[in-house]
Amino acid sequence: MAVATLPHGAAAAHGDHGEVDQLYVETRALRLQGFLLFLVSDCVLFSSFIFAYLYMRNSGQGWPPAGINHLDVAFAAVNSVVLFGSGATMHYALENWKHNNFGKYAFFMIATIILGAMFLAGQAYEYTNLYFKEHVSWAGSGIFGAGFFTLTGMHGFHVTVGVIYLTVLFLQSVHGVYTKDKYFGLTAGTLYWHFVDVIWVALFSIFYLI
Amino acid sequence: MSTTAEHAGGIAGHIHPEPQGFIRRYVFSIDHKIIGIQYLITGFVFLVLAGLLAEIIRTQLLHANGGFVSNDVYNEVYSIHGSAMVWLVVIPIVTGAFGNIIMPLQIGARDVAFPWLNMLSFWIFPVAGLMLFSSFLMGAPVAGWTEYPPMSLLGGPGTSMWAAAIFLVGVSSTLTGINFVVTMFQMRAPGMTFTRMPLFCWAQLATAPLLMIATTALAAALAALFMERQFGVPFFDPTKGGSPIMWQHMFWFYSHPAVYIMVLPMFGAISEIIPTFARKPIFGYKMIAFSSMAIALAGFMVWAHHMFTSGLAPYLQLPFMILTFTIAIPTGVKFFSWVATLWGGKIHYTSSMMFALAFVALFTFGGLTGVFLAAVPFDLHVHGTYWIVGHFHYVLVGGSLTGIFASTYFWFPKFAGRMLNETLGKIHFWLFFIGVNMTFLPQHWLGSLGMPRRVPEYDPQFQTWNDVSSIGSYIMTLGILVFFVNVLVSMRNGKKAPPNPWGARTLEWQIPSPPHYYNFKHIPTVFGLPYDFSQPLPYKGLEEELTDSPVHAGAH
Ligand SMILES: [Cu+2]
Repeated sequence: MAVATLPHGAAAAHGDHGEVDQLYVETRALRLQGFLLFLVSDCVLFSSFIFAYLYMRNSGQGWPPAGINHLDVAFAAVNSVVLFGSGATMHYALENWKHNNFGKYAFFMIATIILGAMFLAGQAYEYTNLYFKEHVSWAGSGIFGAGFFTLTGMHGFHVTVGVIYLTVLFLQSVHGVYTKDKYFGLTAGTLYWHFVDVIWVALFSIFYLI
Repeated sequence: MSTTAEHAGGIAGHIHPEPQGFIRRYVFSIDHKIIGIQYLITGFVFLVLAGLLAEIIRTQLLHANGGFVSNDVYNEVYSIHGSAMVWLVVIPIVTGAFGNIIMPLQIGARDVAFPWLNMLSFWIFPVAGLMLFSSFLMGAPVAGWTEYPPMSLLGGPGTSMWAAAIFLVGVSSTLTGINFVVTMFQMRAPGMTFTRMPLFCWAQLATAPLLMIATTALAAALAALFMERQFGVPFFDPTKGGSPIMWQHMFWFYSHPAVYIMVLPMFGAISEIIPTFARKPIFGYKMIAFSSMAIALAGFMVWAHHMFTSGLAPYLQLPFMILTFTIAIPTGVKFFSWVATLWGGKIHYTSSMMFALAFVALFTFGGLTGVFLAAVPFDLHVHGTYWIVGHFHYVLVGGSLTGIFASTYFWFPKFAGRMLNETLGKIHFWLFFIGVNMTFLPQHWLGSLGMPRRVPEYDPQFQTWNDVSSIGSYIMTLGILVFFVNVLVSMRNGKKAPPNPWGARTLEWQIPSPPHYYNFKHIPTVFGLPYDFSQPLPYKGLEEELTDSPVHAGAH
């Protein structure tokens, strides 16, 4: 049963003697499903805080409260493009790995890591601006501060973990941990990175657009 | 569908040698059976501790003026009693203990999908438990197990410790849920389609997504409470723009499904025990399986029935009331299936079966009072009274804990290799059954007369029934003591358990007691449901399980 549900890529995996490496195929199926479920529960964590923020917004005296016009939407939009761009480069990195194109893989992987780091730098700039110029803080600015810094902070933490994770994956791939047929770590890294992108779509919408 | 040959090179044919050192074998074990037993022992230790707290509560309430402990200590005691019973006793035992020990055996697997993750899940749990109890040292939480703000914002420093501890138990639950879903989706023996899976596994399959999703929502609420208490981030304090009602939404979005986390696995266990001792096929296999899923799904849409007095808009009260009523339908389906299974059966009154029958009766009572509570007008009358306390103790003690005892009498021979003493089992049963009803039935009367919950002293008119309740709780405790004596004595001196002492038909009973490290010498092939008593067993490939032949590991 486990065998029948495999994606095409893994089913074609070959062992040392030209046979299907059944252990790898089955283990990969387990890990893929487990990782996806982990992302689902992580998504629930974000959703709960998003619910909390929107609930507080709608239970108050109207939104936005007087004197709140602090967010630099244009800057955040550019920063978002940086993050979404890293999603695209990650996609190409994995595709090139699958097609045994190590040079291009390395280029796109490093680009992803750099773009991720740039996004974090942009977020740090935004935080310092808010805190020192606009005097918006986590604990001192009511529900906006609580919601904004908690959610974007959680997301930033996920991006930080992602940048470290991708760096480790890259070093592993340089040292030959993954092969053309066995690269589950890279698949997981790609899934995680896309997940972080999707969460940002939701956060950008609730904080900057509506 | 894969054949046995295809499996030989895969996970099923890949067996690590059994670890030999004590530490790797019994402490940091990755064997699902050992981990399950670790959960069971740890859960029972916390049952003793939280049970002692319960007796402090009942002793305090022997007299209208209290006086056994101070009012402040009393608040701490009932808060930790509730938290510990829910998160450290019932949830870990019904999922972590019995889910771990039994589920992989029933689906014909060698272990869960992620054995190392399983070990991690377990070891988080005792650490979190110690953190929870250590909050007594720094001023334990005082706002009950629900910890509503603003009270929980004002509670002692231990409240933050409470939040951190429950958060950690939640992480452990979430990881277990992921592990179980993947195990059941990917590691069933050849031929075991979902519609041939034992009902205990179906119940675990319905529970696992609740563990993953609902628990994470609670984690968010706990994290928010922690941030507000430690860093002053305004989530719940209305003076800073937060909303105390939001906590109730987030808390009950988890804690209503948590009711099903605590009881669905026991529904599954009862569905195994009743056909075995009635010697009849289970009535309505598919209905029981699907009703578990229906309950799990509907459980996410009813949380606000706990909030009818919180100023919830009337147009929201009605749908929550009706949706809650509808959950009684799948639950009733199970009830009637069990009764129909018993009907005309040749019933063997073992201790396990007695507890299973008590489960059906007591849970039905607690379920029916739940339907009362879903009705808005009635709820407004009894909200926050002893009626509620009586209701949920019928569900959790009469349901979950009775189910845990039924499961222990049923499966102890399998995982411990020794039989429990039946005479002590019967004594345990009668003391416990009488005690439960004596303790919790009068609380309904106290509540409808208006006695509020969580009070250290009360109006003298309530004295009589409180005394009955307290004496009942002592009888119940005596029963549980008999149980522990039984377990401790039988563990060393009990009769050696045969592979299948009850004549049951699921896979775990077709292999030695206790099973080998690798569970099955040969992964069996499954041809049908395990409940057709009088028919030959629907398995192939089990011929060598009870012989001395070596394991077929990866030999292909
Ligand atoms: Cu509920």
